[in-house]
Amino acid sequence: MTEATKPSGGKPWLPIVILVLGILYLGSAFRPQSNGTEFDLVGFGRLPVIDQGRVKPLDTYARTSLMVLSNKQTLFMGEGVATSERKHPEGLEKTAAINWLLDVVTRPEQARQYTMMRVDHPDILGLLGVQEERQYFSIAEMVENAEVLGAQFDMVQQTATSEMTGYQRQVLKLSNGFSLYVSLEGLMGWLVVPPSDGSENWLTLQAASHAGHDHASGDHTTPAGTFEYDYQVALRSAFDAYALNDPTRFNAAVASCTSLLETTGYPTLGKHSFESYFNHVAPFVRTMALYVLVFVLAAFSWLGMSRPLARAALWVLILAVIMHTFGLTARTWVQGRPPVTNLYSSAIFVGWGASLLGMFLERMFRSGIGAATAASMGFLTLLVAHHLSLSGDTMTMMQAVLDTNFWLATHVTVITLGYSATYLAGFLGIIFILRGVLTKSVSFDEGKNLSRMIYGIVAFATLFSFVGTILGGIWADQSWGRFWGWDPKENGALLIVLWNALVLHARWGGLVRQRGIASLAVAGNIITSWSWFGTNMLGVGLHAYGFIDSAVFWMAVFVTSQLAIIGIGSLPMRFWRSPVFEKPRREATTV
Amino acid sequence: MTDPFRKILKPIASVRLTVWLLALSIFLVFAGTWAQIDMGIWSTLKTYFRSFFVMIPLQIFLPRDWNVPGAIPYPGGFVIGGLLMVNLLAAHATRFKFSKARTGILLIHLGLILLLLGEVTTAMLANEANMTIDEGQTVNFTEDIRTVELAVIDPSDPESDRVVVIPARILEKGGLIQDRRLPFEIQVEAYYKNAHLLDRKNVPSNVVMADRGTAVQFAVGAVSRPEASGVKQNQSNMPVAMVSVLDRGQKVGTWMTALYFSLIDQPEFERVEVGGETYWMTLRHKRNYKSYAMKLIDFRHDRYIGTNTPKNYSSQIQLVDPAHNENREALIYMNNPLRYRGETFYQASFKSGDTGTILQVVRNPGWLLPYIACTVGAIGMLLHFGLSLSKFLKKRTAR
Repeated sequence: MTEATKPSGGKPWLPIVILVLGILYLGSAFRPQSNGTEFDLVGFGRLPVIDQGRVKPLDTYARTSLMVLSNKQTLFMGEGVATSERKHPEGLEKTAAINWLLDVVTRPEQARQYTMMRVDHPDILGLLGVQEERQYFSIAEMVENAEVLGAQFDMVQQTATSEMTGYQRQVLKLSNGFSLYVSLEGLMGWLVVPPSDGSENWLTLQAASHAGHDHASGDHTTPAGTFEYDYQVALRSAFDAYALNDPTRFNAAVASCTSLLETTGYPTLGKHSFESYFNHVAPFVRTMALYVLVFVLAAFSWLGMSRPLARAALWVLILAVIMHTFGLTARTWVQGRPPVTNLYSSAIFVGWGASLLGMFLERMFRSGIGAATAASMGFLTLLVAHHLSLSGDTMTMMQAVLDTNFWLATHVTVITLGYSATYLAGFLGIIFILRGVLTKSVSFDEGKNLSRMIYGIVAFATLFSFVGTILGGIWADQSWGRFWGWDPKENGALLIVLWNALVLHARWGGLVRQRGIASLAVAGNIITSWSWFGTNMLGVGLHAYGFIDSAVFWMAVFVTSQLAIIGIGSLPMRFWRSPVFEKPRREATTV
Repeated sequence: MTDPFRKILKPIASVRLTVWLLALSIFLVFAGTWAQIDMGIWSTLKTYFRSFFVMIPLQIFLPRDWNVPGAIPYPGGFVIGGLLMVNLLAAHATRFKFSKARTGILLIHLGLILLLLGEVTTAMLANEANMTIDEGQTVNFTEDIRTVELAVIDPSDPESDRVVVIPARILEKGGLIQDRRLPFEIQVEAYYKNAHLLDRKNVPSNVVMADRGTAVQFAVGAVSRPEASGVKQNQSNMPVAMVSVLDRGQKVGTWMTALYFSLIDQPEFERVEVGGETYWMTLRHKRNYKSYAMKLIDFRHDRYIGTNTPKNYSSQIQLVDPAHNENREALIYMNNPLRYRGETFYQASFKSGDTGTILQVVRNPGWLLPYIACTVGAIGMLLHFGLSLSKFLKKRTAR
């Protein structure tokens, strides 16, 4: 008898308690936004701005900018001081990025003293003459070192990104951060005044303030009393009031901005409010925490109290999938695009697909295995997504070729589900090997079940990656006139199809059995990662610097770990602690 | 089927062979991707995928400054693809019997055969070219941007120029080119598939230099450099041919004909005077003249608000084909090509300053094959895996 079938009806309350705690934890994320001060920062954060070609709420703009500079969405602020340093003086409170943005714009001298520019590279720290252990610097400190840094900035500007050393990439990142900061200070010069006629002619505060007496100069003139003029006056007033620390006037100004937008029928104010709320809920952070819980529950279910713990794992997994789905759908709605549009969203989607599949496996087999794989995949992909988000807005606009909802919705989502499934099979393989070798918990039947699961998921992966790849070919034929061009990204997709086909044929031909298919599935992880990220690293992609150095490192770590697991899986059978290879003699017991 | 026949086919039809061939093809694709860091995509295609045999240098998998010698001899794409096809057909001839449960597999494999056939047809029959049109200009030829030709132009006839072209493969061979259609003999001194133009002062002394023409005027010389990489998409080869002109064995001078000179805004031609007549020489993309002409009425390049990120490109063109009584306007934009008489015109790129469009012109008689192939294959997969899944689920509920 295995532990899974042991009668363990005790503690039926345990899964219910865990589920309720999970629901409370999720629910608390949906608390309403609060200002934290007397200023109506929430209302202000919903106002629109154009950045990188996208109309977004100021809240998102503030968060992504702070993220790029300090790798965090919040910082610690007090009277006239602020820092991102975790070890901060007492009296500072965790504050939203929008607060910081307002300081940057309206109190530039003061905000330049805030220590929030993150510098990691030891050589750059050396340039700055820093000896003590610190990561965050103020703009003022950077300006003090203008001569030294400026010379470095100039040199990297003349270097092609593909030729850069790790140090140079970090210098470039710092240089870009510096320019970003300068542009934040000049926010008033940005396109912040929406057009009232539904066109794309957004205005700066300056342009909107030109009263109607200047018709000759062109169409960028706004008579007093029009929406553009009034909105500009209200927005300026908000900035002024903030600078003068006058919450009453600030709140009145924000309210009048909002009502102006509402009365002109500005179409996306509701979307901006939602996006700002979405930023506040931060669903993927909660989802990650739930995945950790699911994994722990599932892993403990293999050690004892199997039934209630496995059940709790499944229930919490369902919660996590719901939250993951909410995040994914919300992004899709805000962006008005199919779910996968860039590397960041592909990470979110790969994790979602895998945990959804894992959830169904868990429902079918109820052994904790589906839950554990789903959780580890979900957690890891969201972690990858988090690191990708450090480079800025995650809802970037697309290059012209990619600008087609039809192919994004079909080819891209299908192929990404193919990645999900291939990884899921690989993670099942990891569980088979590690549990089989290291613990005694995998019985012969359970091993058989696991390899059946791997087989089923590989079949699913073959279907999706094949159809996805072919759809990609058709898209390429539609837009460039060739079905297949053997370019790196296409080859990456093809490798996954070929690999999955190899696994299936090896199994059909009897070349591999249970642990063979597990090892092959683990190798599938390497191939999928290479297709997903490796092919981007070959050319050191345009948007990838900053992230790419550490990405190469983590890629190497991942590949090595997978090879190690395959190595462990190839150990002779006598090293396996679980009786995976011994068919239990049932007849013998009945005799 | 007779038994000895089966005996021969059996090893060829084995699944073990399939697995090995798949493994071989995975490594080939992998290597062919790494190779694109240094090699143009077109060269990679010819060396790795559309070839019978390839030497894979170990260097391609390693950092470029390590300098590791050695190469693995490896079967090319045609060999592996061909063997897979033989293996598949043999398997069907020996092992598979037609049954309802097998229909899915049969369809998947049929789809794969069609896909491979499609790729072979493309390799054999398809060709790609570019058509560059400035706004207001009318163009009646396409250019093959993968290869060049040396054009020798005799402008003496006021009605039309007499043009003799020398293809790149002849230039590559080097040596003396004599032909009665040419007004003079040409000695190829050097030919670089991809060249770097630089100041004459910086050219090493052992490299051939021009003593006439544009190169002298601009004080530039050329040195060979590695072929453009396939990974960096906006790079392409810039060939240079150093040619001496001989008038009945008598050397007239040496010219540097460079593709670069034909691509700049005001193209430079090499002026050659032989026997009192004036001729022009130019190294240009290989041209292919058409029965029709296209006029670019308007090129549009929309950007996202407040950025330089392109949102859409479109070309409004006028298609004139007197031989086939066609005269109409058409709009070509991203993901919306124009198909005309077996050729397809795609919006590929544009000239700097948005002054002209670059269309990709593709003729691929086998273009429909992949569409049929994937429909068949996908139906097969759905059928096969759908059947397995429902069988599996039935078994579970029965338990």
